[in-house]
Parts: sequence; C-alpha cells; structure tokens
Amino acid sequence: MVALSAAEVRFIQGGIAHDLRSDGRGRYHFRPFSIQSGVIPQANGSGRCKLGATDVIASVKAELGRPPAGRPNHGSLVISVECSPTAAPEFEGRGGEDLSLELQRALERSLLGGPNGAGAAIDLSSLHLLEGKVCWVLYIDTLVLSSDGNLLDALSIAIKAALSNTGIPKVEVLASTSADEDPELDVDNEESSPLDISQVPITITLTKVGRHYIVDATAEEESQMTAAVSVAVNRKGIVSGLTKRGGIGLDPSILADMISVARHVSQTLIPTVDAEIAASESRAAGS
Amino acid sequence: MSRAASTYAVPSYNATPDLSVKGVPPSLLSPEGSRLDGRLPHECRPAYMKTGAVNAAAGSAYAEFGQTKVIVSVYGPRESKKAQAFSDIGRLNCDVKFASFSTSVRGKASQGMEEKEYTGMLHKALECAVALHTFPKTTVDVFALILQSGGGDLAVVISCASMALADAGIVMYDLVPAVSLSCTGSEVLLDASMEEERWGDGGMIVAAMTSRNEITQLTMTGEWPSTKVSEALQLCLDACLKLAELMRSCLKEQVVAGGQ
Repeated sequence: MVALSAAEVRFIQGGIAHDLRSDGRGRYHFRPFSIQSGVIPQANGSGRCKLGATDVIASVKAELGRPPAGRPNHGSLVISVECSPTAAPEFEGRGGEDLSLELQRALERSLLGGPNGAGAAIDLSSLHLLEGKVCWVLYIDTLVLSSDGNLLDALSIAIKAALSNTGIPKVEVLASTSADEDPELDVDNEESSPLDISQVPITITLTKVGRHYIVDATAEEESQMTAAVSVAVNRKGIVSGLTKRGGIGLDPSILADMISVARHVSQTLIPTVDAEIAASESRAAGS
Repeated sequence: MSRAASTYAVPSYNATPDLSVKGVPPSLLSPEGSRLDGRLPHECRPAYMKTGAVNAAAGSAYAEFGQTKVIVSVYGPRESKKAQAFSDIGRLNCDVKFASFSTSVRGKASQGMEEKEYTGMLHKALECAVALHTFPKTTVDVFALILQSGGGDLAVVISCASMALADAGIVMYDLVPAVSLSCTGSEVLLDASMEEERWGDGGMIVAAMTSRNEITQLTMTGEWPSTKVSEALQLCLDACLKLAELMRSCLKEQVVAGGQ
C-alpha cells in the first residue's frame, strides 16, 4: 500500500487540477516506456514492457488443442496474469489473486472479442487447422515484475509486443485420417509464420482523481483514485472492450467523455507503441 | 407470489430450447425484426420480482427475468469476522454462486472463475450505493444464488441484490438496477437471452443509480463501432430507469401488503 501524508495528497490532487502532475506530465501524457522483444527463448513469442517503474513480461506459447465448442473453425486465446509477491508485498496470498483475476478479466474482455469471436485481437479463424479437430491455442501468460501503477496498460503493450514477436510453426495435416481418428500432424518448428497483429488493441486506463481524470497513473496517483475506466482501442479507433474499476459511480456524460479521450489518446499512443515494437524487434534480430 | 406479479406478466414456462453447443449460429433477428423469443430488439424480458423470499435472512429477494432465476439474501449488519482489521465504516461482503443445476452442462470448469468474477463485480456495483458509514465496525453479507442461468445473469443478480438490501433496511443512496445488452451486426438487443449472448458480436452490462444519474458498474466486450457505444449506453440507462420504477413499485407493494 502506498502511504501518503495529507500534504502529499494535496500536492498530487492540486497538480492534477492544474494539469501539471508530480513528475511533470500533463493529464493525458504517458510516462516514457521501453519495449524488449524476444526475452523468453522457450516461448513462441515474448515481450517486456517497462512503463516508468512498472515492469511486466508477456509470453505467448502456441499449442495444438481442440477448437472451442460451437466454433469448429476457430482457434482460441487463453490469457493469464500473475502478480507475484516479489513485485509488491500486498500481492501475497489473496491480494495478488484478486488483482490478477481483475486484470485477467479486463484483458480477456478486450482481447478475446465477443461471444462469437468478433472483434478479437487475433483473427481466430487464422488459428484453425482442421475443422472441429485441431487448432492452435495461444496461451498468453503475463507476469508482473514490478508495480508502479497502470498495470493494465503496460500488460496490453507487452502482450502486443509478444504477439508481434510470435511465430506460429508450420503444420501439415497428413491426409488419410478417417473421421473418428485423431488426425496426424507434421509440425515443422523450423519454419514459422508471423501473426497478423493489426487488430490487437491497446488498453488506455483513465483514472479519476478529484474532478479530473488522467492517463497512466502512478501508484501514488492510483491510491487517490475514485474510479477508473479502462478502454481497449485498436488502430482504427474501434473500442473492443471496456471495464470500469473502482467503487465510485460515474456520470454517464463523464463516461462518454472518458471514452472519447481514450480513443483520442490511443491514436497517438498506438503508432508510438508500434514504432517501439518495430525498433526492439530489429534490435533483437540484429543481436 | 401472485401479489407483486399482478402488473407484470409471468414468463411462460416452455421448455428451454436445446442449447447444444454445437451447430450453426441461429440468426438472432427474423426478417421482420423480431427476436428468437418474439421480442423486439429494444424490448426487455418479462420480469417478476418479490422481496422476502427467505425467512431467516434480514432481507431477501427473488427475481425472474425470462429464463434467468436468481435469489439473493442479505444478512446483517452483524459483527465482522475477528480476523478482519478494524474499520470505522461498514463492510459489504458479497458472494455469488451458481446452483449446480443452473446450467445445461453441470458444474462447468469455468464456473468457479465466473463466480469469483461475478462476486467482485457485484461488490463494485453495490458498494457506492450502500451508506457504509451507517453501520461502522460491522459487516453486511450479500449472498446471491443463480438458480437458473438464462442470460444476463450478473445484471439480474445486481438488481435483485439491491432489492434484497432495501428489504433488509440497509440505508442506500439509491436502488441499483442493472441491464445487459448484446450487439449483433448493426442491431443492439436489449436484455439479451442466453442464446443472444452466446452468438452476439459483443456485450455490455450497465448498473446505475438512476436518481443520482451515476453508473456504478460497466463492462463491454467484443467489437463496438464508436457510434454504437453511446447508443447502447443510452438504451441501457433508459432500461435501468424503467427497471428502477418496477423495483420501486414492487417494494412498495410488499410494504403495503405487509402492513395490512
């Protein structure tokens, strides 16, 4: 838990009201962030995002599995979040579990698309191999290494970096399998194809402190929040998921404002993230 | 049970259509623009609500929205558990459970996760509506049980829980009606049934304190064109407003009936 004196609280709230936050940022400015691609050699793809002092890792493992029920022509995504107690003492035991679940559900809402798969981050039909039998299941596992606020946005950036870094092994379905048998597959780990990540959204969390709301809140600022709204927006500005957090109600008109601010911020943030991912990938390829 | 039902049609008890998970997605709207269960896109399911469903509880409520059936009981305010730290405001403890027969597949693996998520979301939806400072050092327990899952479960749980809290005499700033909505193609379907939820492009849940014009809980999933977001939100808020009236009149009826 962040412990703040009354004077510090006033300083933070006053700064936000004057559009000049404690670290010199305006209300809608992100902290500088860095992305590292390919940090986990055992995974099919991985990425690490440092946003200020927040540090998260995402890895993608592709495994062969069964298509989801009712959608024989789709693959699936599975997301998990782990907040280890090494990152912060309050993540020990139940505290970590509750936060992990909240973050995981928010990411699922933004990345998995609707019940029929519309609006998913990855075109799920591209993960399909053999109708009703075999498909790729992408396990997106994320880990919080250090927490200084705005975990959700950092996680979404790390996931995008990991997905862009992911290679799906080439699979050949060997013919001559009858309908009831499990099909024979020839997996070629040498050759792999990249995923189409053009639809992967980035989550923008707007944190309401006092009468104003800010993006990319630090842990100190988050401790003063009344409510927060996390909006997942893709490159085209389409909203693909939304989660309200915090226990205080919001006026509908403020909420509509927050969504449009999130979309606006995303249109400058997403190109920066993409450029940063491209740069880190060329670094990883060069080394 | 018939008292409160007088103004609201009790849903028909036809057998649920077979919700086998395989098969092709049905078209959710007929060419004439009516839904699978005959409703119009912006029409809610028939609702029935009743307070005082559980004798032992300080307050309780039963709600039935179409095929979704939910019971909520409220205990307290009572002494907080010894292990909990001192708190000078009250605590709201929520718990949502699915009855093992509530879904077509018994005890799905994902059910435990869903229960946990619903518990958290119910707590967030209610905590700002309850005047926690009126019962310092004590806990109010809200236990919800989904008897039959038929779509929009969480929304029904939230609405029903706020009725149960009111029935228990817990001081609240407002009732918290909640409504879910499903989006399919260019249409939004209010108060979605299970099938609409399963095959839709996206979904939304809104819980609001309507007299204070405050949204207490909101989630969206799936793909939403920007113009649809505000339309859907407004639709949900309007439905919340109507649901609030229904909940209020139901509470009043119960009080009048109890006084006689």
